[in-house]
Amino acid sequence: MIGTKSGLGMGESKPSLFGFDFLLFFVMLALMAIGVLFIYSSGVNSVGELTSEEYIQQIIWIAGALILYFVVQIPQYRNFEKWAFTIYFLNILLLIVTLMFGKVVNGARSWLGLFGFGVQPSEFMKLSLVLALSAYYNRSTANIASFRTFIVGLLLTILPMILILMQPDMGTTLVFIPIFFAVSFVAGANSKLLFYLMSIGILTVFFAVLPVWERYILQQEYRWLTLFEDVRLLLLTTAVFLFVGVLAFIGKKYTGQAYFRWIAVFFALVGVSLGISFLLRSSLKDYQIMRLIVFIRPEVDPRGSGWHVIQSLTAVGSGGLWGKGFLHGTQSHYQFLPEQSTDFIFSILAEEWGFAGSVLVMLLFATLLIRGFWILLQVGDNFAVYAGTGILFMIFFHLLVNIGMTLGIMPITGIPLIFMSYGGSSLWSACFGLALIQNMYLRRYKY
Amino acid sequence: MSEAYHSLDTVKRRFKPRIYSIITVIGISILFYIAFLYHLQIVKGSEYQNRARAVSRRVTPIPAQRGEIFDRNHDAPLVSNIDSFAVNIIPGDLSDRELDEVAGKLSGVLAVSKESIIKKIPQAYRSLYQAVEIKSGVPFHTISHIAERIDEFPGVTWQSKPIRNYRDVDSMIHFLGYVGNISREELQVMYNRGYNINSVLGKTGVERQYDDILRGSPGKRYKVVDVQGRQVQERQYVEEPPINGNDLVLTIDRNIQKLTEEALGERMGSAVVLDASTGEILAMVSYPWFDANRFYQAEAERYYRQYALDPKHPFINRSIQASYSPASTFKVVMTTAALEEEAIDPEREINCTGRLRVGNRYFNCHVEEGHGPVDLTSGLAESCNVYFYNLGLNHLGIEAIARYARSYGFGEFTGIDIPGEVRGLVPTPEWKAATYNSPWVGGDTVNVSIGQGALSVTPMQMANMIAMIANEGHVYRPHLLKQVVDPSNAQVIEEVEPEVLRTSSIRSEVFREVQDKMRYVITDGTAEVVITTEAVKVAGKTGTGEVGLENSWTAWFAAYGPYDAPIEDRIVVVTMVEAGNDWEWWAVRAANIIFQGIFADQNYDEAIEALNWGWLHNDRH
Repeated sequence: MIGTKSGLGMGESKPSLFGFDFLLFFVMLALMAIGVLFIYSSGVNSVGELTSEEYIQQIIWIAGALILYFVVQIPQYRNFEKWAFTIYFLNILLLIVTLMFGKVVNGARSWLGLFGFGVQPSEFMKLSLVLALSAYYNRSTANIASFRTFIVGLLLTILPMILILMQPDMGTTLVFIPIFFAVSFVAGANSKLLFYLMSIGILTVFFAVLPVWERYILQQEYRWLTLFEDVRLLLLTTAVFLFVGVLAFIGKKYTGQAYFRWIAVFFALVGVSLGISFLLRSSLKDYQIMRLIVFIRPEVDPRGSGWHVIQSLTAVGSGGLWGKGFLHGTQSHYQFLPEQSTDFIFSILAEEWGFAGSVLVMLLFATLLIRGFWILLQVGDNFAVYAGTGILFMIFFHLLVNIGMTLGIMPITGIPLIFMSYGGSSLWSACFGLALIQNMYLRRYKY
Repeated sequence: MSEAYHSLDTVKRRFKPRIYSIITVIGISILFYIAFLYHLQIVKGSEYQNRARAVSRRVTPIPAQRGEIFDRNHDAPLVSNIDSFAVNIIPGDLSDRELDEVAGKLSGVLAVSKESIIKKIPQAYRSLYQAVEIKSGVPFHTISHIAERIDEFPGVTWQSKPIRNYRDVDSMIHFLGYVGNISREELQVMYNRGYNINSVLGKTGVERQYDDILRGSPGKRYKVVDVQGRQVQERQYVEEPPINGNDLVLTIDRNIQKLTEEALGERMGSAVVLDASTGEILAMVSYPWFDANRFYQAEAERYYRQYALDPKHPFINRSIQASYSPASTFKVVMTTAALEEEAIDPEREINCTGRLRVGNRYFNCHVEEGHGPVDLTSGLAESCNVYFYNLGLNHLGIEAIARYARSYGFGEFTGIDIPGEVRGLVPTPEWKAATYNSPWVGGDTVNVSIGQGALSVTPMQMANMIAMIANEGHVYRPHLLKQVVDPSNAQVIEEVEPEVLRTSSIRSEVFREVQDKMRYVITDGTAEVVITTEAVKVAGKTGTGEVGLENSWTAWFAAYGPYDAPIEDRIVVVTMVEAGNDWEWWAVRAANIIFQGIFADQNYDEAIEALNWGWLHNDRH
């Protein structure tokens, strides 16, 4: 593959400074700077004392991330395609080591101590998966829409998910799903299969959540919902749906009638979803599911799982148009708002800078993402587009879930707001990703 | 290979639709979030701002000074407030080790155990900045001791929390009552009237009855706190200053109260002194009483339990909360009925042989050999049972007796302005049928005729009966409150006017005749040798009721004086002793001392000196 380049007279050359995309870089830098400001703000307590050095730590992380950013510019980005599987399996190995020797933080064995630093291999796994998937899809371009390619891609995704779920860290696990869909979609994987998978996913979550929804959120009984409570009834229903699905499939084989196929698909999807939701519910406790859906009605548990949502909503809402001013937020400084520097950093920002600041951050992210995709179209190489899409969509998904959580329209999953939340691993991982896109841009005319 | 190589245009054509659709998804999501932020921060912004303020605002009450209670002289208060402090610890200011140290030092200063201090601060409170009360009722010198060494007591604060002083009230505690912390049940009932979990309120007596006047209303101090309850803004601003409670001036005369208390001595019983023409209670004693100061000291619960279990029932105000057979004092009611109904010729003599046979039972007179022939006047004076047996059974009948008893207020509340009074009982055939399911017989009428049987009255009701006679047909509602006074300017806010409780339809000549006959009791009857006072002309009636048990009587004396003075000057004195021996057969003697003291303006010692009862100086049981 690489040999073709020289044939075109586009041999490797040094990246030029003018090839550097300053917009992509400085928007990222702006987001990091705002992040530091509000990590600082979150460390100020009710009597105006600074109680936390986290902002200094974050500046150190950022300095490291920027060095990494420029180091990544040195090698040809294509080299990362070559190294993709090595990186992937090394990272898998790290995850296994973490499961065995990792530190337990917040109930999950997700931290690995390395040279006195704490590292979360799961954060880097997101990037490793993007690279591996992109490399694999690029290699399978000829039969990209085949069932086999789809399954291998899916397996590549599921392997780290299982390891991270074992930590257990549900929030991080979830991020792998949109990465898979985004990379597969842009690579041109079988869209029917993608659609089925997505349907199963949505239905499974729906079925798994329904009983808890009924009990804690609606707080009234619906007779038909006992279907999900009674194990035997549930298994029976699952079997019936699968059976009908198989029957319809056979019917299609013999008669060739198109509607048989739709019947088969519908019943099979519902049957499989019911089955998986059963497995899911038997492995999760009610309170775990409750935590995920409490954002719908936080008032049902205002002191417990609903506390975060209520406090965050109050902080964001009370910000108004211009906010209460930097360091003048009450919800945050009086410590009503939990996990301010990590999960709820956007809440402080929205409280102290108001609607104006919130929109500024949203627009910065939008600029970053759209500029990123624009660059991908300029580069126009399969691997670059796949990997770039994976990286950008990962950043977008973090944004969507994290800010959605602070606004009470997404479940509380502990997913950080990339570039702004306190923490090194996610920062480095995302910075690495953007550096890769920058690298692609630098060499856009070289292939 | 060919797939891997393509011109930029091919790539753009291939990926453009997919990447554009992804960008669309991202764009729509971000626009939706901005719209939602607009909804939260702009549309509902002020609602959330109020919520944010409410979350962090705390209101602490500033206690109002409770009003003081005076007697009718309105000079020195009977009940006042003592400056006192509550000592608190703010757990958030201390580490566990420091807390241990401070608790150790405090235990020495406050005289409470270190363990009990630490127990007051559960682990869950350790990081909070909410003050936890360690001890209340701490005197000023202890606080100044701590204040001088505040460096040794980090995290220790105090605030003024006055306690009630009942130091010299003695027997007055029964009607004054006392205050205590609000109970959960009381809070449920009174929450809407502005009480809260920290309220102190009157539990009994005047303190309870007039709690609304006494307590004032607490002020409010607003402050902004963080999630741990730590105050955020240094400047506390008082939004509403407290309104102090008003003072009460009672109808009680503490000199008469003291006199009455000493005249009754250490005898289980009650004494009431009433101004007949207004219903003002001048003295009200019930023995034994209790010391409410103990409820604000260490081991309060032990004392409380001790009082509650005492067989002499010191918590009961015998003047209104217990009823007794009126015994021979009831003959006054019988006499009134006989005269008003003209049921018998008062001059007509009935021969007392010492007993009367009713059915197959004999009813005795208290003189075994009999009084011989007696008319109404001598029958009352000698308290001849046989005469009244006859009167009740053959001339009045139970219906008339009950009607007259009720017209005097027996069996009804007197409406006194302290809680807890009992009704007593006027038995009737209907009552007996309903209670015992047995018919009324002649013997029942005979018993009621001399104030025995199921008939029972409180000393306060007895005082009202005498007041009716002394007032010739009017009874005023007995009351303790005379005036409500604003403590800041000594202005009288409210003056309690006498209120007619009941007006009798009995002719006033009848009352005057009864007065004469009661005077005759003193000059020529059963009280002749005992009522020796020359300070006042007394009219009254003795009574001795058997209480079922051997050697157990209720001894009464119900009287007023001066006998012939204008109605406004007449004072009612009722004494009642639950007697178990001769020393306790005392009601008439007590009344003699009380009349002497009141009308000669003497205290107990001077009174007994004047009565030549000097031997009483050593009268302690």
